[in-house]
Amino acid sequence: MASSYMLPYAQQAPPSYAHPTEASQPRQHHWSPYTENGGVILGIAGKDYVILAGDTRSSEGYNINTRTARKVFSVGSGLILGVVGMSADGEELARKVTRKIDDYKRNHDKHITVSAAAVMLSRILYQKRFFPYYCQPLLGGLDENGVGAIYTYDYVGSFEREQSRAFGSAAALITPFLDNQINLKNQFVPGSNGEQPKQAGDLPRATVEKIVKDAFTSAVERQIEVGDGLQLVTITRAPPRTEEEADDDDWTGAAISVELSPLKKD
Amino acid sequence: MGGFDFSNHTRNAALMAAGMPAPKATSTGTTIVGCLFDGGVVIAADTRATSGSIVADKNCEKLHYISPQIWCAGAGTAADTEFTTAIVSSNLELHALSTGRKPRVVTCMTMLKQHLFKYQGHIGAYLVVAGCDPTGSHLYTVHAHGSTDRLPYVTMGSGSLAAMSVFETQWKKGLDREAAVKLCSEAILSGIFNDLGSGSNVDVCVITPDKATLMRNYITPNVRAPKELQYKFEKGTTAVLQEKLISKDELRRYITVTELDAQGDSSLTTDVMQVDA
Amino acid sequence: MFIARSEYDRGINTFSPEGRLFQVEYSLEAIKLGSTAIGVATGYGVVIGVEKRVTSPLLEASSVEKIVEIDRHLGCAMSGLQADARSMIEHARVEAQNHRFHYGEPLRVESTTQAICDLALRFGEGADGEESIMSRPFGVALLIAGCDEDGPQLYHAEPSGTFYRYDAKAIGSGSEGAQAELQNEYHSSLTLPEAESLVLKTLKQVMEEKLDSKNVQLASVTKEKGFRIYSDDEMQEVVSRLN
Repeated sequence: MASSYMLPYAQQAPPSYAHPTEASQPRQHHWSPYTENGGVILGIAGKDYVILAGDTRSSEGYNINTRTARKVFSVGSGLILGVVGMSADGEELARKVTRKIDDYKRNHDKHITVSAAAVMLSRILYQKRFFPYYCQPLLGGLDENGVGAIYTYDYVGSFEREQSRAFGSAAALITPFLDNQINLKNQFVPGSNGEQPKQAGDLPRATVEKIVKDAFTSAVERQIEVGDGLQLVTITRAPPRTEEEADDDDWTGAAISVELSPLKKD
Repeated sequence: MGGFDFSNHTRNAALMAAGMPAPKATSTGTTIVGCLFDGGVVIAADTRATSGSIVADKNCEKLHYISPQIWCAGAGTAADTEFTTAIVSSNLELHALSTGRKPRVVTCMTMLKQHLFKYQGHIGAYLVVAGCDPTGSHLYTVHAHGSTDRLPYVTMGSGSLAAMSVFETQWKKGLDREAAVKLCSEAILSGIFNDLGSGSNVDVCVITPDKATLMRNYITPNVRAPKELQYKFEKGTTAVLQEKLISKDELRRYITVTELDAQGDSSLTTDVMQVDA
Repeated sequence: MFIARSEYDRGINTFSPEGRLFQVEYSLEAIKLGSTAIGVATGYGVVIGVEKRVTSPLLEASSVEKIVEIDRHLGCAMSGLQADARSMIEHARVEAQNHRFHYGEPLRVESTTQAICDLALRFGEGADGEESIMSRPFGVALLIAGCDEDGPQLYHAEPSGTFYRYDAKAIGSGSEGAQAELQNEYHSSLTLPEAESLVLKTLKQVMEEKLDSKNVQLASVTKEKGFRIYSDDEMQEVVSRLN
């Protein structure tokens, strides 16, 4: 994936779970403009759909700030943006992307494509190369052919289009699961004795939704920063335009639906 | 003969100075509580053990046996709580044997604090000590640096504030056993749901002058959600990279192979190791 | 001379009592002095052509640049003060590159025209917070040809900042006669070679000099090849087709 960059400030202040009264050693104190609010997001692109999901917990250290924070935003023109990391920066980034997508529509009299929005987001991130947004974004939408697209980024704008990706504090837990279940890695056709790897095909949306839910319920079991609720956002192709919609400038060809379900709260 | 081995200290200090990170210990970033009631004392704990932000154990035991009528709830570094309580348990047993009396809670508490003070906080054990002895029912907290408190209700660990808020709003004098168990459970639940370091189940131990009752997994409010899909792999999904057959004759060169009949009964009676009763 | 007008001639952002901005109107006059430029849009691409006015046998004809590239998919022909056109084209080129940089896609033809017209209005004292960059309006009009997802398009941009989309448009000194000719000859199913011929034929009618392959220039914008200025050989071919 995108190259990883060290953040000057974040590097100095990793999230500390040390017990408050643990054996005290000399420690240098400093202020950091960044905080880590935990949580995880997960995006999967299908043949004619996109699923972007996130948990709804926002935490700081051992404390829960809120159990109902949404990490996936509709940013206009049929596109969605998932953000995880520092929630303040994530929300600011989503607001900025939303505004710029609206500007694009007004300036060029058409909806931005997901590929153009992908480049735009990259530039937004790189503009803050030396004081980056402390969040990892996932951009989702249907491309010009109606095929699902997920674009993944690092903090400073390096990006690429991918089939599936998990970001956030449980990314290391979910990624191998996705590799195995979505891309069928390390699975061979039985009887071929390791000669013929299983080929990843077009997974139906219903199956992928179940894989996503299992990824989250499993992450909740082992990551303390993940939990409370699951926000599952899906983009599908909208039904063909009706006559009334023929002149509707807001019609994008994409239908966005949001599903909220509970996760464990411990 | 006993004690800690410091022989790697200089080497490790050099490695850390060269940039090698220190290994991460499992910590029971925990909620533990205790509460006295009329006729005994109750302690309770959650069951989550963490390593950083990862759950290392979803159902660990944080209530430790010290003596039949003295139990201890531990927070902090998991190994430290386990070894400290085990050592004190042994020493208290020896003490009871040599004096011919039941061990007292205050003795236990004193041994713990002297041990911890000696190590200046480097043994990261934060304990709630509770028990009944001939002088009555007692409840203490012991901090890693060696300080202690004696109170009618106590909380410790990263969820101590969440738990204490329950005690401070609901505790009253003269609780009976049932009310004390309920109050402690609710305090632990508060930690489980509001403190990320605590989670999973509630363990409770009730101690009265007659007996101690450990109620393991007294409440299980965090049962795993059933999975949507099954993840069974078809046989042959994993490649066999190398196959090597070892015949029984080959094995006989190193060990004794005994043929079993269909019922699993051995026809051979020799070469079976006998253990003296 | 124009005594009645003189009071309102100088302040370039001052309306006359009749509601006119004289300097802007004068700038439109400047274009009528310029050489003729013609554009024709077809379903296959846009053809633009200009008269070069090679005024002296000592003039190096290839140094007369009246058709320029803005981006791979955008070109433009000019009529009027050529130096002014340079500012506009530089602006359009920057905007087109900016769009490629920010969105990874080519700028649309209409957006390019809009960007040029935004610049055209930045004369006078400058609005609050926006620095004025020009003391007077531009003295040049552009025919902007391009191809985007909506197909080949032709736009006309004036110093007044207004723009319109055309199927076929003539600007410059011979524009009146040329426009009438285009109106008669244009139809929506023109092929690209037919459009080339139409442009040259129309230019020929309004030019003072006798048209040859040296004193006119052609360019086209197509989906496949983008913007392209015709080579000497290609010019020769199109001119020979006329006769």
